Amino acid sequence: MKADTVVNFDVALIERARRGDAKAFERLYRDHVGRVHGLCLRMTRNPDLAADCVQDAFIKAWKALPKFEARASFSTWLHRIAVNTVLEKRRGPANAEIAVEDPTVHEEPVMSFDTPVEEEELEAAIESLPQGARDALVLCGLYGYEHSEAASMLGIAVGTCKAQLHRARGLLRDRIERGVR
Amino acid sequence: MNRRLTRIDELKRDIPPARDLWPAIAAAIEAEKARAAAPGETRRRAAWLPAAGMAAAVALVAFGVLIGRISTQQVVTTPVVQTPTSSSPEMMPAAYRKQRDALIVEVQAKLSAMPEIERKKVTASLATLRRSIDEIEAALGHDPANALLQELFVSSCQEEMRALTAVRDSGSQET
Repeated sequence: MKADTVVNFDVALIERARRGDAKAFERLYRDHVGRVHGLCLRMTRNPDLAADCVQDAFIKAWKALPKFEARASFSTWLHRIAVNTVLEKRRGPANAEIAVEDPTVHEEPVMSFDTPVEEEELEAAIESLPQGARDALVLCGLYGYEHSEAASMLGIAVGTCKAQLHRARGLLRDRIERGVR
Repeated sequence: MNRRLTRIDELKRDIPPARDLWPAIAAAIEAEKARAAAPGETRRRAAWLPAAGMAAAVALVAFGVLIGRISTQQVVTTPVVQTPTSSSPEMMPAAYRKQRDALIVEVQAKLSAMPEIERKKVTASLATLRRSIDEIEAALGHDPANALLQELFVSSCQEEMRALTAVRDSGSQET
């Protein structure tokens, strides 16, 4: 019930923003900026770059609003734009990172830790992951996107996304266990 | 204090940026809006330009009736009109204004002596031409640096002077 109200409210704001109402778009920004920034920050590992990406993503979203289909999730659409923006920034020479080789596809183990870890420790472990593995983990493991959605956002094959997530979880487990024990 | 976690999806997803990014986004949006509005303004401006041109053309056609009565050997003295430095009518060259005002007095006298049908036709044509000039002047007030408008303004003023001169001289050139 509450979710419906939120969705309808978003739709009304989107409609107003589409007609050029910047105040409505500001409200959308305020509602969504935290998640978009969280996503950008985890993907870039750089607060300044993340802020740039968020800014660019919202400007792109404003320009692209007429193309947004009301049936789609605004949040997903916005995240897609943000992910694209991060990927574009990465292509710049200053932000180039050594690509991670595509591992083979494995079955995904269920993610769980025997010993509870602290938030900061987990964030640091995620931050230390190779780029491709981190992207998959952030989108699928943290933001709850399906492999197909995450793969589409990242411009990779679904199998590659699954493999990257598997790799990320393995590396994360190793690093946290090493740190905890 | 850090929370104890066992799952990645327990991590917070909302992380507000350290600074408010909205002012920069709002500025970019305003710039985008202004950019989007600019072509429309050009279109609106462009929309009346053909109308002004057409009005001038209509005036010329009407004058053709009058000029047809004038000897083809007639040499019409075209007043030299300097390019105005500003679109404001007050800034129009004083010499031009004086010459035009004197011409209008003579034309009024000539018009009163004309048959009614012809007088109406000529008056309407002159009024159309004047409206065109006024419209161009008004547009120049909003866009003083527009070279096309400046050119159009000068040529329209010259057109008006030619027309007024033709009306003034029409009777004296008749055989």
